Amino acid sequence: MMKIVGVCACTVGIAHTYIAQEKLEKAAKKLGYEIHLETQGTIGTENALTQEEIDSADISILAIDVKIKGMERFDNITKITVPTDIAIKSPTKLIEKAVEVAKSRSKGIKA
Amino acid sequence: MMKHFIKSLRLKNHLLTAISFLIPVVCGAGFMIAIGLAMGDNSSADLTKSFTFWDALAKLGGTGLGMLPMIISTGIAFSIADKPGIAPGLIVGLAAEAIGAGFIGGLIGGYMAGWLVLGTIKYVKLPNWANGLMPMLIVPFIASFIGSIIMVYIIGGPIGWLTTGLTHYLSTLNGTSKLFYGLMIGVLASVDYGGPINKTVFAFVLTMQASGVNEPITALILVNMATPLGFTAAYFFGKMFRKNIYTKVEVETIKTAFPMGIFEIVEGVLPIVLNDIVRCVVATGIGGAVGGAISMYFSANSKVPFGGLLAIPTMTKPFGFIIGLVANVIVTGLVLALIKKRVTAEDENKEDTATEADLNMDDIQIS
Repeated sequence: MMKIVGVCACTVGIAHTYIAQEKLEKAAKKLGYEIHLETQGTIGTENALTQEEIDSADISILAIDVKIKGMERFDNITKITVPTDIAIKSPTKLIEKAVEVAKSRSKGIKA
Repeated sequence: MMKHFIKSLRLKNHLLTAISFLIPVVCGAGFMIAIGLAMGDNSSADLTKSFTFWDALAKLGGTGLGMLPMIISTGIAFSIADKPGIAPGLIVGLAAEAIGAGFIGGLIGGYMAGWLVLGTIKYVKLPNWANGLMPMLIVPFIASFIGSIIMVYIIGGPIGWLTTGLTHYLSTLNGTSKLFYGLMIGVLASVDYGGPINKTVFAFVLTMQASGVNEPITALILVNMATPLGFTAAYFFGKMFRKNIYTKVEVETIKTAFPMGIFEIVEGVLPIVLNDIVRCVVATGIGGAVGGAISMYFSANSKVPFGGLLAIPTMTKPFGFIIGLVANVIVTGLVLALIKKRVTAEDENKEDTATEADLNMDDIQIS
């Protein structure tokens, strides 16, 4: 099964971050993909991703308006980087796009 | 080519990162000075001599707000160059403050410091035995030195004149232009509900306040409060018209958005807005235009940059603010109650099936 990881972080870190998280999680569930999103709000990091989770994923989505902590964790995975409002306005299309990229980069190793 | 180059600088991304560091400082210090001024009326007490509790609060809050040029420069430099950017960012920000270039100086200084750090790391090559000197000595010294010299001897002065000129211009506005500026601030600050446009306007009006013009930021405080309060009013107007405009989930959202609105946090209404973007933005924009214009026209003048209700006691002309706030809340509420569709049983049950906007590949970066 396609596995997606990612981080959400917006400027103020109290609203867009969590709405983007929720929208992406719902969209991924609807499409039947596994997703784990970390949030970096003003309160700090929540729902943190481990290196193992990132390494075992097929693609990562960074819905971020600001610089995030732990960017180096994503050095070995393809990253789709967008502003949070894209994740909020078009979560399904964003995930479909990410999956398309993941498939084209791994040439059918996983489906 | 040019467009690609500018995009690769990620200017907006760095500014938003810095603003994300700035906002908690504005809130923390802003509330302190707001409470201190409301109860004590003196923000320039000397804490080495005698002072009251409220003087201390106001003084500390004021000192915190005075740090904003340094915080914006440090934040931007950190965003560009990571940890090595912090020290030069702080020092160039201090240089901007010292030369009177204020917030705009800090903003430009931050980019300068960040890029100087990246440049130093990239182009200054040392023999192996001296590599340890790079992070400790070379990078902080070269970036701070060059950045501060440029700030103090070249760009700081002109930025200072520019800020003074703009401040002078804004403080001599007459009635009609005040209405116009208030209207602009009101619309721009309200229509993206605390998003990047709002934050850009915030950076601008904060600059104005730092140079002593309090009216623009007051208009922004007003619309940030009025939007969630207007959404709450719309619920009651809807009831009056016997029209349910919110789903049950949305009514729950209103219950948390209202108290957040009292303290000037607009983001509480976002879940409602996202269900019906166009109608909400129209109602918010019209209300914001009215509120911003009235606030500026009556010269409502908050001495603090943040605080919502707590900002009112710091004003010498609070009535203009209250009139503007009430007007904004009523207009936003009425327009929203009128143009929003009646909630049907179907809406109550549906899951988020709202049509999604198409992806613009320009917004997406694959790496």
